[in-house]
Amino acid sequence: MTAATAPARPAPRARALPSPAGPARLLRIELRRSAMLWLLPLLAVLFYISAYRPAMDNPPFWNIRSAMLQSHAMLVLAPLLAGAGAWTGSRDGRRGMADLIGMTAAPRWAGQLAAWAAATIWAEALYLAGVAVLYGVTADQGAWGGPLWWPVAVGAATVAASIALGFAAGTCLPGRFTAGLAAVAVFLALAGGAFAIQDNAVYAQIWPLNVQGPFPSDSYGIFYPYLPDLAIAQVIFLAGLAAVALGALGLRARAGGRWLRGAAAAVTAAGLVAAGTGTALAGTARLTPHGMVIRALHDAASDRPVPYTPVCSRGGIPVCLQPAYRAYLPAVTAALAPALEEVAGLPGAPVRITQVAVTSVQKDPSNGISFGGAVLSGSPPLVYLPFSGLTLPGEGGTTTADFTLPLRSQVAAPVLNALVGLAGNQGLRGGGPQGIVVGGPPQSSQGTMAQLAVAAALAKVAGLLSPAPPGARTRPGGAVLPGARGGASPGTGTERAAFQRFAALPAAARHAWLVTHLASLRAGRITLSEIP
Amino acid sequence: MNVEIAALTRRFGRTQAVAGVDLEAGPGVFGLLGPNGAGKTTLLRMLATVIPPSSGRLRLLGRDPGGYGGRRQIRRRLGYLPQNLGYYPGFTVAEFVEYFALLKEMPPGRVPGAVAAAVERVDLGDKARAKLRTLSGGMLRRAGIAQAIVNEPDLLLLDEPTAGLDPEQRVAFRALLRDLGQEATVVVSTHLVEDVGAACTEVALMDAGRIVFHGTPAELTARAEGTDAAGDAPLERGYSAVLAAARATGGVRA
Repeated sequence: MTAATAPARPAPRARALPSPAGPARLLRIELRRSAMLWLLPLLAVLFYISAYRPAMDNPPFWNIRSAMLQSHAMLVLAPLLAGAGAWTGSRDGRRGMADLIGMTAAPRWAGQLAAWAAATIWAEALYLAGVAVLYGVTADQGAWGGPLWWPVAVGAATVAASIALGFAAGTCLPGRFTAGLAAVAVFLALAGGAFAIQDNAVYAQIWPLNVQGPFPSDSYGIFYPYLPDLAIAQVIFLAGLAAVALGALGLRARAGGRWLRGAAAAVTAAGLVAAGTGTALAGTARLTPHGMVIRALHDAASDRPVPYTPVCSRGGIPVCLQPAYRAYLPAVTAALAPALEEVAGLPGAPVRITQVAVTSVQKDPSNGISFGGAVLSGSPPLVYLPFSGLTLPGEGGTTTADFTLPLRSQVAAPVLNALVGLAGNQGLRGGGPQGIVVGGPPQSSQGTMAQLAVAAALAKVAGLLSPAPPGARTRPGGAVLPGARGGASPGTGTERAAFQRFAALPAAARHAWLVTHLASLRAGRITLSEIP
Repeated sequence: MNVEIAALTRRFGRTQAVAGVDLEAGPGVFGLLGPNGAGKTTLLRMLATVIPPSSGRLRLLGRDPGGYGGRRQIRRRLGYLPQNLGYYPGFTVAEFVEYFALLKEMPPGRVPGAVAAAVERVDLGDKARAKLRTLSGGMLRRAGIAQAIVNEPDLLLLDEPTAGLDPEQRVAFRALLRDLGQEATVVVSTHLVEDVGAACTEVALMDAGRIVFHGTPAELTARAEGTDAAGDAPLERGYSAVLAAARATGGVRA
């Protein structure tokens, strides 16, 4: 120690008010030495495992990828971040710094906010870097449309709130186990939210991992704009949680002066109001065909469909898809071609297959939702095809065959039923993984049986009939009777013979007969014996 | 007077740690001696505004630390080295000192120069960029002293500052104390009476929460005359003599 070489003591100085540069320098030091820095490699690995890799296992749709940034990533990252926040918050207590920190002029709250801010900045930087990489790759893969930012905003708010909650816990209970306990508590809270939302608790919609309720991914962000209503409520809620946690630290007796504690009280109160408001808003959320709507936050302009030019195949009956699904057009066209070739040019046959949004939403008793399948309507007839209940190739290991098998029966069944004049509950049923099944009322008329035989024969030649398992009661051609129809009679010999005759006809002869007799068949005036 | 204390007490539950202390101190180095449990650290913590007194009057640097405004003004002009120095192991020496300079609300423009000067004064210039976790106990103590003096305090409170310092560093530290004491009030709590003899202009001896002696080191040394008090050095014998007398008379101030 060098008293002799010490610089001359300056003259007594006038003390200036604290400069705003002070907190900035404090933050700079905290940024350099934040414990979160040590966690960044682990957080990066967890982000890769929880969000990036699952996202890449799915097709390049912005909505699917962004949902993973909110739900998958946060389920794994938020508990760890809360633990890191608690570790940072408990630092002064663990390190025996209470006396040294407790006698400084700057409000204790300011120092605590700097430490929290530094930890949060690093965590947010890593999260946003992960988002940038994921979105960059998604854009490079040619995803249609643009990135969705609201799920990212909810994710970022979850990051800040998790650290704030952990930090407050660590400051108030500065033990070496607090970090682990905070991580477990946040994980349990997130898991509890999952159970609450399954139990149909409306306020549980605020759960930060909830992207758009129980919606299939193509219902938002592709045919219709992403509805930010729920995300806004979630951000309000999470910001409120963070404000409560941080504000409460400023309420403590040693945090600072009256003015500062008043400010902390205001922050805490505002946080409580925000958290309550967010939860209340989420409680008013309702399921609509386009996503979760909160009336107080809803912008009616979001209900307008996103304009697009469909991509269509060439052929007798073109198949047109939303351009986000461009990559699947060849597979869909190939899957539908056999059935469409059978009906192309016939009166009443569809002139186009048009993909539509999965919008026929109905809540079922288990808080799930059901969706309608393909529908043929209009004049000239069009098939409106939602990809409902279908998993896209590449999504969760789904193969192209897994996708196209149910798709083609889902389309062919209503097309063939409509062609021969069968009502939906009388004729072919599609959508199952094995293909079309043949139904029919227990006591069908001759006309209905003829319609059924012709439709089944067309399905057979298109390769769409589901094979009958050994011993199953069957309709014409060995097609399986629907299990729900316990009273249905097995196909009769006459019915089966007519079906087999018609299926065995050359395609041109079958087509020519249909051109001539389709109107009579539809009217129920053709008997089984009249089928060639 | 930078320190004005009257009838100051502090209780922790049923324990009376400080039991009515009266003291005044101006610029200079003030030594606070006493056996373990005498109340030195508690008194220093009250002077550092870490804990409030249970009763009595306390004025520091002409202000009342009871109110937030006054306490904040005092803290800007205060330096404190606690007995058990906590630290952030990941901080460098310079960052640690800078951190406290900022918490003491030094004007940011002055901080870099003040940090460099404080680190140099404790001979840690070549360790300024070393992480605290890599320092020896003595170096850590010096880093603690650097954070205490970085704001050039008008009231500097040092609790066992020479613990862990080697003899060479202790000699240098005494010189630093004398230098600091030319303008500021430096209160040094210590067990080491030779530190007091070498650096202090005034000394107080505490026992059982009370000040049993207040005077100069020479006066404390003189208390040993005519007694058979134990000790290797004259000041130690004075210390022993005052303690023995105080205990014999029930702690009446000498």
